[in-house]
Amino acid sequence: MSSSKKSSDGKSSEIEEAVASLTMPFNKILLTSSDGESFEIDEAVARKFQIIAHMIEDDCAGKAIPIDNVTGDILSKIIEYAKKHVVEPDEDEDEEAKKKLDSWDAKFVEKLDLETIFKIILAANYLNFEGLLGFASQTVADYIKDKTPEEVREIFNIENDFTPEEEEAIRKENAWTFNG
Amino acid sequence: MATFALPFCEIPEDLQLRILSFLSPAEISCFACTSKRFASLCQEDGKIWHVMCDQRWGKKTKIQKWGNGQIPYRLLYKTLKGLENLIGFWRLCGRANPAASSPPLVFFDWGPSFVLGSRVLSTGDDTYQVKKTPFLLLGISSEGRTENFLDLVGGNLRSVDDDLKELEASDNLVSVDVNFMGNGHIMVEENRCFINNNLREEQKSSGDESDDLISSPDFSEMYTQLANKTSPGGDRRRQKRKEKERQASRTKWEPEHFLKVADCSPTPTKPLQGLWKGFCEGSMELYLVKYDEVGGIICRKVEDLSLSRYTPPVFWTPKHAFIRSPFSAEEELLLNSRIHISHLAEVHENVVSGILYIKSSYDLVLPGEAANGLGFLRGEGRVWLYENGTFGFGFLRDQFVIDMKRVALEDGCLADEIEASM
Repeated sequence: MSSSKKSSDGKSSEIEEAVASLTMPFNKILLTSSDGESFEIDEAVARKFQIIAHMIEDDCAGKAIPIDNVTGDILSKIIEYAKKHVVEPDEDEDEEAKKKLDSWDAKFVEKLDLETIFKIILAANYLNFEGLLGFASQTVADYIKDKTPEEVREIFNIENDFTPEEEEAIRKENAWTFNG
Repeated sequence: MATFALPFCEIPEDLQLRILSFLSPAEISCFACTSKRFASLCQEDGKIWHVMCDQRWGKKTKIQKWGNGQIPYRLLYKTLKGLENLIGFWRLCGRANPAASSPPLVFFDWGPSFVLGSRVLSTGDDTYQVKKTPFLLLGISSEGRTENFLDLVGGNLRSVDDDLKELEASDNLVSVDVNFMGNGHIMVEENRCFINNNLREEQKSSGDESDDLISSPDFSEMYTQLANKTSPGGDRRRQKRKEKERQASRTKWEPEHFLKVADCSPTPTKPLQGLWKGFCEGSMELYLVKYDEVGGIICRKVEDLSLSRYTPPVFWTPKHAFIRSPFSAEEELLLNSRIHISHLAEVHENVVSGILYIKSSYDLVLPGEAANGLGFLRGEGRVWLYENGTFGFGFLRDQFVIDMKRVALEDGCLADEIEASM
């Protein structure tokens, strides 16, 4: 992060400022989705996607980067999240900011259906966006919490291939493995 | 709820496991009952239990190194779940061992393949530096046995390999059990069985026949008497054995109890709460400030809890509401005329954001005082809360302000012991 140093007489050196602006991240990066949608974002936001951060480091990022595996609707959601999370507030330093951000996150996923969240997981995995991947995974896990196996099957379209006897046996076995 | 949800099966296994890693074991048990495929996914220790350990503790400790990498992750999960309750500050309650090996304040933290408890003491010089010396190590053997080692003299737990075997052989370390008594209370006691087991191991390998009958030092006399009658050549062996047993039966560490320091950090509504360090009568001391349920605050020196019943608090107040600026001229004068007691090299720059009236002992409140609050308005002393979150306190009877700094988990001043100067 840039900070202008004050010289002893209190004036910021013009030369120092000029140097700072050269190294400051003014760059914009253009991302293109698989279905042709384009998104122009700040470099700082783009760096949240490790795969792009590496490209920038290796200097092989031109101004436009194609994201072949992700459609425009999903990419736009991911960018929306990334923009909000460019700077992660420290829980100890700024409790207030953390709470506000958590609240925004909650509203963000509330509007999304499970299919979209799965797509976000796949895309975040591809882009190597750790923060969103963790958050989205936690969100799906929350769907599973406090549900019976039958309810979980329904949500995730899982086919029950157990016979009733097998199901009972596996239930007992798992109860021992996971609760013992 | 979506009816065309993307089947869970279609996302890659590592992402499936990632999602599952956020669940508790009971919830995974339920998920494992949904289909044969997921039952088998959740049966693989190296997969499901690994991600569960990784998700919770991967950033805090090296989960692959515990138990020398040879214990099942399911066991590791159970072990770490228990041990994570230790993390933080604990206070001694009732000293039963010599002061050098028995610290009033202990700090437990994650090591690479174990949990390490360290004594927290002042370094004894003029700085705010706090010394942290390892004294108790909690780990697990390759066979999955809990192994805890207590350092009686200091300096023996500095660099520990992932394999705890070398610690077993050390004479300076005592094998202990750490028993969780619930409610933030642990008891640390010497593990006698460990010693006897080891002794038996040694005896077995030395080929003595009469040894298998020996199960505790009490019976050894009896059996050696019997052995005397049947094997005349065993005198020397017997004497060595007796000597070892005598040594082993000598208790090296008396059981001690520790209570967890809850609330060891300040919060926005309780800015004085937690562990602090400040200079008192020339030396750096550790203090604990607590808020009680009725709106009061008590500050005490950190020491053996069983003693604190008899020692008066450093300061206390029945009401913890601060007076905010602007302050009266009297108050300004009161503070500005004081000398700050803090680290020699520090320049005192703190701006005061709040003032609190305090008392220094449990004097009887005179009948008039409580009613009209006038007596307490004079107060016996003050706490000055600084803008940077620290505070200083002082009494009307003298001209000093004792400036306090936080003792925190991330405290940069929690310095490791330099040499074994204990």
